[in-house]
Amino acid sequence: MSVDRRDFLKIGAVMAAGTVVSSGAPLLTAAMAEGENSGASARNQWGMVIDINKCSPDCTACYDACRKENNVPHFPEPELDIHWIRKITFKQKGVPGAEERAMPAMCYHCQHAPCEHVCPVAATFTRADGIVLVDKHRCIGCRYCMIACPYKARSFVSRHVEHDPAENPDAPIRMHGVVEKCDLCVHRIDKGEKPACVEACAKAGGGGMLFGDLNDPDSEVSKIVRTGKATRIRADLGTNPRVFYVGI
Amino acid sequence: MNIKFTKVEGNSASYWAYMALTGLVAALAPLTALYMFINGHHVTGMTNQVPWGMPIVMAVFLIGASAGSLVLSAMSSVFGKTEYKPFARIAALLAILLIMAALMAIILDWGRPDRILVPFFHFQPRSMFSLNAILYNSYMLVGFLYLIAQFKDNTRWMKILGLAAVFIAVGVHSGTGAIFGFVYVRELYGSPLLPPSFIAAALSSGTGLMIIALYLMFRATGRRLDNRLISSLGRLMGVFMMVVFYFLFIENVTRSYAPKNYEAASFLLFHGGKYTLMFWLGLGLSGLVIPTMIVFHPRYGRATGWVLVASALQVVGVFFERYIIVIPAQVMPLEFFPDKEITSVFGDGQFANYSVSLVEALYSLGLMGVVAFGFGLCVKLWPMLPTEAVHIPPEAELAEAREVHEFWG
Repeated sequence: MSVDRRDFLKIGAVMAAGTVVSSGAPLLTAAMAEGENSGASARNQWGMVIDINKCSPDCTACYDACRKENNVPHFPEPELDIHWIRKITFKQKGVPGAEERAMPAMCYHCQHAPCEHVCPVAATFTRADGIVLVDKHRCIGCRYCMIACPYKARSFVSRHVEHDPAENPDAPIRMHGVVEKCDLCVHRIDKGEKPACVEACAKAGGGGMLFGDLNDPDSEVSKIVRTGKATRIRADLGTNPRVFYVGI
Repeated sequence: MNIKFTKVEGNSASYWAYMALTGLVAALAPLTALYMFINGHHVTGMTNQVPWGMPIVMAVFLIGASAGSLVLSAMSSVFGKTEYKPFARIAALLAILLIMAALMAIILDWGRPDRILVPFFHFQPRSMFSLNAILYNSYMLVGFLYLIAQFKDNTRWMKILGLAAVFIAVGVHSGTGAIFGFVYVRELYGSPLLPPSFIAAALSSGTGLMIIALYLMFRATGRRLDNRLISSLGRLMGVFMMVVFYFLFIENVTRSYAPKNYEAASFLLFHGGKYTLMFWLGLGLSGLVIPTMIVFHPRYGRATGWVLVASALQVVGVFFERYIIVIPAQVMPLEFFPDKEITSVFGDGQFANYSVSLVEALYSLGLMGVVAFGFGLCVKLWPMLPTEAVHIPPEAELAEAREVHEFWG
């Protein structure tokens, strides 16, 4: 009996140690979680305005450019496929013969990002300049962010993806078992360029996608947002997306 | 009440057969998890439309049953229900094993279970998952300490730790309910009633599992079990079932009242196909109505066999409840524009499909095997089982309750 009890106490002690570590360590490291902004400045708040009056249902310029720029693979099953940007067609509900219109949908880089709030390991974080990113080396693949995102902006990589020699070396490496999404082509923004979709829209599409600094009163996006013509998707949820639409 | 607890001999052929069988079944959990990890989650029924499948249903079910078990275990030391003392140790043990299996269910289902240490070093205080990780660990610790106090027969610590166990069990299950309740973008998730209704279902499924485990353990070891203990537990389960029913009723009536929720409410209650069947038949009729009628029936409620049937039906019913909480909310399309019809190549505006894959079914079975194997191992290692479990009725009835029923002769 006494040996059993001692053994039991030992197990209890190990459990106690585990609990202390599990609850204490995160508190200690919470302070260290700062400084993940890789030079991004809070002086800029990057945002986008999409004028869907210039968006045709047949055009896939933004979609194609995004896939190419970010090496987004195609999975054979549509329900498993990865989408950083997608075209949505919509029409008024309950109105017979309503006109069908189209718009690109993506991650909206919310000010109050639900994905960031629910991520248990803070793998999703917002840079100082408002870009919401996923740390693929920290993500544990629990997929809670996919459950919480109102915009279905996230995709889980459910297969191993082989690297293609022809792919863009500037885009982040893809990792299986984690969740990923549009990062506004952060690698281009940091070089002073525009996201690939915006560039492609201007070249091969209707030119309805505008990118700029919402903090800069002279930027094109700021000017449009200030007029009150630009709206946000599901504004009622209070997530405050940084991507606005004109013409919805 | 003076109860002697003993170990199970564990030398018989049937014991080793039990251990071999449950051990094999338990091995399915890590093996299928490895298969999922090596191949990727495309081998499961989970998709980018329905990211949480059967493993999460199992996790929620196991956490619930665990919380219910721990509260039952504390009944004798905290609430003075001394007639429940015979199973106080088994219930605490079961609670620990169930929460371990639940944690296994969650962690091995991660896309990257190899990153198990990451949550120990990164923390997000707004995330219910993060907070629950602390709750689950503290819960396991309290459960262990409470078991130790029981082994030492230290009444004072049994009371203190039993009370702590009740508080933390309620916390753990509120936290689990909040994982879904706090998701405000899906009509079938966001509900302040989810945490308390999770607790009610936890208590009823925990009691149901306890009844089944008690009966099987006593039967297998040839020990004496008073059938009045079973019927008393059955009635307790009946009360918990009525609370579950009440919460379900309020939640669905409230949801059905707002026009913005008409589609969600009618999907679950009327045109959701298999989910609607699970709601009305799996949970409603066979999980709540029939078992409640059995346990409160003047004759069937006293018959051990019938109470066992009620317990099994109810446990399966709560399993359906967990399923229809986790899955249909993801199957329904997200409201991108509440006033517009939308379509896309990514399934926007469409109802998604989800069915449990073979891998997920074997994984779930494996998790139950882990609990069964652990239980068999622990009753051999430590004195968990009372030599007999006799119901002690209130003093006034003591005189007429002389003969103790032995239902297996």
